[in-house]
Amino acid sequence: MGTKVREIMNTKIETIKMDATVYDAIERLVDKRLRSLVVLPRDENDVYGIVTVRDIVFKVIKNNLDIHKIKIEEIASKPVITVDKDTEVGHLISMMEKFNIARVFVLEGKDVIGVVSLLDIMAGALIERARRT
Amino acid sequence: MFDKILSFGKSENIVIKNIKSHINLLCSASNCFKDALNKLEPEKASCVIELERDADTIRRDIISTIHEGAFLPYVRPNLCRFVEMVDETFDTLEDAALLFRQIDKSIFKTIEHECLKIASINAEMCELLQIAFETLHGKGNIKEKNLAIRLCEKQVDDIKFELIDKLIRIDVKNFWEGKIVSDFVESITRISDLIEDASDYLYIIEISLK
Repeated sequence: MGTKVREIMNTKIETIKMDATVYDAIERLVDKRLRSLVVLPRDENDVYGIVTVRDIVFKVIKNNLDIHKIKIEEIASKPVITVDKDTEVGHLISMMEKFNIARVFVLEGKDVIGVVSLLDIMAGALIERARRT
Repeated sequence: MFDKILSFGKSENIVIKNIKSHINLLCSASNCFKDALNKLEPEKASCVIELERDADTIRRDIISTIHEGAFLPYVRPNLCRFVEMVDETFDTLEDAALLFRQIDKSIFKTIEHECLKIASINAEMCELLQIAFETLHGKGNIKEKNLAIRLCEKQVDDIKFELIDKLIRIDVKNFWEGKIVSDFVESITRISDLIEDASDYLYIIEISLK
């Protein structure tokens, strides 16, 4: 049996609303020492999105846009790529390679309950290896 | 590594056997503490106190056997420091268990998720320390076990920041309520630091034996 995503995921996730400003996002990212925020769905028919430090730097700061005026919905990526908490890590790695992404959010039902980054996978693999060898 | 360098005498074998038992007891105590937290049953954490008493006896045996002449003199100080470090981990775990019995249940509920995660990582780190010691005694790469322990310690450090964030928002009724929760968090987050230090001593022992 391979390692499951839920065993290595990080449950430290922060959310932000679609209509929040980029400034709000920066404040939260700096305060919580994070690299991405989950963008909450607008309503039941909407889906989760993601806004990362990359989005802020390349889409806002690079173009000298006002961080107090630009809304999260203008720069967020949607839909966010997610996996079920019981997905095997091997499958997750293939998925991250295929889509060239550094982090994937973890779902339990319809709720985002965690995030797995490449660093989490590397740490998980090293700990597992130390236990086995 | 010990096998490669030293021809074992009776006293060396006794020390190795006792150190293994000492770490084994630490693993049992960590798992027992984790279960008590999981089930939210403070009285179950008393197993840590009982195991700590057994561990104290083993530690005294180890230290006295080493001072009676087990191992080459240059190995003894780091081996003793390693044992003392495991003992300090035990003492800190005992403090956490005692404080868990005193902590206000509603306050604990607000930090339960983070505490459970830390207790679980601590138990995993004890297991890794056990494997690292076996590696020193037998074959394998201790550097990798040391890295795995450091990775776990970093995970605890990250959670500690989240916990502090939550703690400063908690309203406490009086000085003692605040002190108990603060000391409890301090204890459970310190365990990983101590295991990391113990693992570093193992690495130093390995280098000194090369």
